[in-house]
Amino acid sequence: MTRILSKSSFAAVLACTTALTGMASAQDVKTIKIATHYNDAQMAPLLKCFDVYESEHPDIKIEFQQASYGDFLQTILTSRVGGTSPDIYNIYSIWVPQLAAAGTLAEPPADLQDWIKSSYGEGTVGAATINGTLWGIPTELSVYQLLYNKKMLAEAGFDAPPATWDEPKKIAAAITTTNDQGVIDRAGYVYGPSVANAVHVYYSQMYADGTAPYSDDLRSTNFTSPESIQIVKRQGELFSEGITSNTNITDDFAAGTAAMMIAANWNKAELQQNFGDAFDSTVGVAPIPNNGGPAGTMLYSFLWAVDSTSQVKDESWKLLRWLNEAQGGASLSCTGQMLSDLGALTGNLADLSAMDTGDSFTAPFIAATESGAAKSQPNIWQAAENDRTLRSYIEQVWAGNMTAEDAMAAADAEVTSVLSEQQ
Amino acid sequence: MSDTSPDATGRQLPATPHELIYPEPPRKTLGALLGSQKIAPWLFLSPMLAFGAIFFILPLIYAFYISLTRWDSLSPPRWVGLDHYKYVLTMDPVFWKTLWNTMYFAAGSIGIGVPLAMVLAHAFTRSRGQTLWRSIYWLPMITNVVAVAYIWKFVLDDRYGLLNRALGVLGLGAPGWLTSPTLALTSVVLIFVWMQLGHNMLLFSAGLANIDESCYEAARLDGANERQLFTEITIPLLMPTTLFVLITNFISGLSYFTLMLVLTDGNGGPLRSTTVTGLYMYQMAFSDLRMGRASAVAYVLFAVILVITLIQLRVFRRGGVEAH
Repeated sequence: MTRILSKSSFAAVLACTTALTGMASAQDVKTIKIATHYNDAQMAPLLKCFDVYESEHPDIKIEFQQASYGDFLQTILTSRVGGTSPDIYNIYSIWVPQLAAAGTLAEPPADLQDWIKSSYGEGTVGAATINGTLWGIPTELSVYQLLYNKKMLAEAGFDAPPATWDEPKKIAAAITTTNDQGVIDRAGYVYGPSVANAVHVYYSQMYADGTAPYSDDLRSTNFTSPESIQIVKRQGELFSEGITSNTNITDDFAAGTAAMMIAANWNKAELQQNFGDAFDSTVGVAPIPNNGGPAGTMLYSFLWAVDSTSQVKDESWKLLRWLNEAQGGASLSCTGQMLSDLGALTGNLADLSAMDTGDSFTAPFIAATESGAAKSQPNIWQAAENDRTLRSYIEQVWAGNMTAEDAMAAADAEVTSVLSEQQ
Repeated sequence: MSDTSPDATGRQLPATPHELIYPEPPRKTLGALLGSQKIAPWLFLSPMLAFGAIFFILPLIYAFYISLTRWDSLSPPRWVGLDHYKYVLTMDPVFWKTLWNTMYFAAGSIGIGVPLAMVLAHAFTRSRGQTLWRSIYWLPMITNVVAVAYIWKFVLDDRYGLLNRALGVLGLGAPGWLTSPTLALTSVVLIFVWMQLGHNMLLFSAGLANIDESCYEAARLDGANERQLFTEITIPLLMPTTLFVLITNFISGLSYFTLMLVLTDGNGGPLRSTTVTGLYMYQMAFSDLRMGRASAVAYVLFAVILVITLIQLRVFRRGGVEAH
């Protein structure tokens, strides 16, 4: 009897201990939810890294949530209202002012901030900084330069890309042709339908002319400066003189029916796919034409940020640092590997030096970043709204409805009014 | 001893059978109560009432409250009173243009779509294979709006579009259907008419089926020709259907923006020419995080729709709907 009791007691104790241990283990596992606009295929290198991290840290479980770029901000808002916000976001730098002002983002720990400042380029750290506060770890970097079709320029008798402002119009005019219905079927120069197609181009041209589009405190604009008026006026002339039109857009460059555009480096993959073996002999990259001064352009960045309401903030920052430092003798960090596979650039200096960036397309973008010629897109208040306003007035000049002076004065008034709302 | 004895419930029973007993009326059971004429209808209505209260009334009240605050959905709302209404109605440089675009879109889609649907429904009612025709015209209605937008982008492309190529064969020019600020909204109206045609035709077909054939026979006996039958019999007797189609089309037209969103990649361009108030409100709320101002715009739009609908009802009642 005693032996039976002992056996029963032992079994019960064992069962209870096992159950309690299991419960304790389940409670100790912390889940980190990561949201990005990259899809599963693009995230593949990072997803593998998540598995490695989980195996090295049994107390951590990583969940990946994807939301399209267009819906990303809404996804953040909805998830926060519903109390299910991810712990880590990959966000566009211009969203940071509002997210930070609303207390959505957590500040990185001091040691991580020191690491970021020493490991990333100045321009990219600037893109992740608002009013002196660094809000995350920079990731994908996009830089604007002039892209031109070498063959089209050569056919028109030009063996070099335009370097000063007077040249693009002359070259573009020589290339532009129309079809039998009077529609431009081969454009010398193109813009595009998106807000960025006009506004990022304008910002890049402003920096190329040595003028920041906004004041240092980001509370007023330089839209009415002589440089700005000249830039927009020249854009309007391309339309009024029949060199380009709303019909001709940036996609036409990849289709081989447009000769020049100001665009970001992330177009590389699509251009390579479209031009195939002729990519190197067709697509050229040059600094944005200016008045002969030092080169300048704009860059924008995405960044890893942590939600302020996260219950696993420390674990999230640790994971992010791990993802952004090369592990186990690899030449690239996990984030760097993903960006490299996408053909994108990074602000991480170690990754950048390990990436294959020596080709003729990528090198000018890298040069602009490393030389400091590429300035961070200003992280202004209500950036999306202001950019849309600015685009609408630039379009008025393109359409010939307003003079550059009137349009930029109106844009300045509207945007300044919005900027004055910030605390 | 008492002359009465207690029963099982403890009540004192009369000593003699001659004493009158007034028993208490039987208490209604829960089932009987719920089945009563007073309660039962409300009981059956309660799911819908609860649904309406939760998904319509509460959001309406909450949206009105939000319209009186500044709220970015991330931090707590801040009370601003009627500031948003004042800004939208007196200062906003874009709102009135979007309202004009909205009116143009709604009026254009009704002005072209409703008469066209009526005539086609009338024609197909008298044709063979009307079910087939109705199905063909109904197809755009069940096609995803994104697919519709892409199809029409290809058709209306300035350089390579089917329409401009056809015009080229005829020696005509190539309008910028979606790239010209003066044409883009009209193009969107035409696409919307194409999308809605089958739906409106179906409503008119139902209306036509309800017209008594004897009316036509009597008119024919009086010597009416086909045109007179249509204008003097069909149109007046279709008035209730026409009113319904007009009001529902106008309401949906005033709040519609999906097609513009997809056709213009969310920009409402060129030159905001296709930015209707619904799209403007959407951008304001989900791109600019101005939930309060967007709610105020929603209420202004609601007021506009309400006023126009009431005017329509009044005009059509005077115009003969009540007579039929």
